[in-house]
Amino acid sequence: MPAASSAVRVPMGDSTDVALAAGGDRQAFERLYRTHANRVYSLCTRMSGSRTRGEELTQDVFVRTWEKLPQFRGDSAFSTWLHRLAVNVVLNARKTEGKQASRTDESDVGDERWDVAGRAPMHIERMDLADAIAKLPAGARKVFVLHDVEGFKHEEIAELCGITSGGSKAQLHRARLLLREALQR
Amino acid sequence: MTNSNMTCEAFDDALPDYLEGTLDDSLRASVEMHLRECVRCAGVMRDLENIRRDAAALPDLVPSRDLWEGIEARIAAPVIPLAARPERRRSFAPAAWMGIAAAALVISTAGITYTLTERSLAPRQDAPVAQADPTARQVEPRIDSGSGPQPSATTTVATAPDQTGGNTTNRPRPPEATGQRLATPASLASQPRNSSLQPEAVYGKEIATLQQIISQRKTLLDSSTVVIIEKNLRIIDAAIEQSRAALAKDPASQLLSEQLTHALDKKVELLRTAARLPAST
Repeated sequence: MPAASSAVRVPMGDSTDVALAAGGDRQAFERLYRTHANRVYSLCTRMSGSRTRGEELTQDVFVRTWEKLPQFRGDSAFSTWLHRLAVNVVLNARKTEGKQASRTDESDVGDERWDVAGRAPMHIERMDLADAIAKLPAGARKVFVLHDVEGFKHEEIAELCGITSGGSKAQLHRARLLLREALQR
Repeated sequence: MTNSNMTCEAFDDALPDYLEGTLDDSLRASVEMHLRECVRCAGVMRDLENIRRDAAALPDLVPSRDLWEGIEARIAAPVIPLAARPERRRSFAPAAWMGIAAAALVISTAGITYTLTERSLAPRQDAPVAQADPTARQVEPRIDSGSGPQPSATTTVATAPDQTGGNTTNRPRPPEATGQRLATPASLASQPRNSSLQPEAVYGKEIATLQQIISQRKTLLDSSTVVIIEKNLRIIDAAIEQSRAALAKDPASQLLSEQLTHALDKKVELLRTAARLPAST
């Protein structure tokens, strides 16, 4: 599993546009947007579970990127920096949108045992993987997307989400079992 | 249960760590032996590995529409280069807006009161000094005057959004990079006193442009947010009008000029923040 820091699918030629955009060049910034939009949109949509919300969050991410770009020092690949910023935008949006729901998502991992044999307490119609991910509870979906789709490590997820590494592992396992249940129906 | 020592329940418990590769050698060996003997658990294992593999290979999604236009509208909100400030909170708490507006109003009112009080206590020979520059009185301060007097060589404004989509630089640049001086309140205050109305020329075009952007995005914002923005704009506008009125009586006052600049600064800041607010959901 590639880690996020391995900068999978890093487009070439970002550095010039990054420098120009950091200086205020909107055309260069548009080129960066065109290069990275789909990947950011994918992250936003999968983490939020909604295409419409994913589009709004994608716009928020790039506005935030424009504002923060002068602070980008090039210590990592631009795509890695952008991706982490996108994750933060999505997570912060979720905090403001539903702290109560978020708390429920986090707390219901606890000591709950999930029946591997297929009796998970969530009814999902048979669907493909993308749809099933969208139907996951928010906490499980967030960790699953970050780990299994985006390649973040549990330690990184714990830091980003403000949870423990063990909590991240528990959410991931829960998500996989729920997905298996959904895909078997 | 199989011939191995591990039960299916124990397998279930060990599975997360097995998938993470964090089991010790003996337990991992037990899991693998159980997998060879138990059809049910082998199926679970196969399914979870397939999910993990398929998730890593999910293709990128494509937005249903071009999102750039909305992004550009938000980042094109023009900015006046202001003095460096600590980053502000992004939350849109009504109390914060009220605080900003109230601070502008209080500062402006206090400055006006101070100046007028000082004038009333000063020797009467000050009176001719206040009238020494009749030209200053003839200038009608108009905040929305896009065609007003251009800033002098000692000031600059960020350019309005490039309507042609050209390669516009509208991010604040360091003065040494642009060869221009910043239109900060401090730099304005250091100008000759008869330039006290220049802040409005500096800010007017930017305010008009920002208001146009907000007007276009108004329907995208939460209605209660719009109400709060408009309410606070009215408060700031009142502070601006007070400063204008005081300046009309005492055009030479550096303090009043600074107060007007400060109030305009607050208005630009509020408008700029509002122009960049994300759409409500």
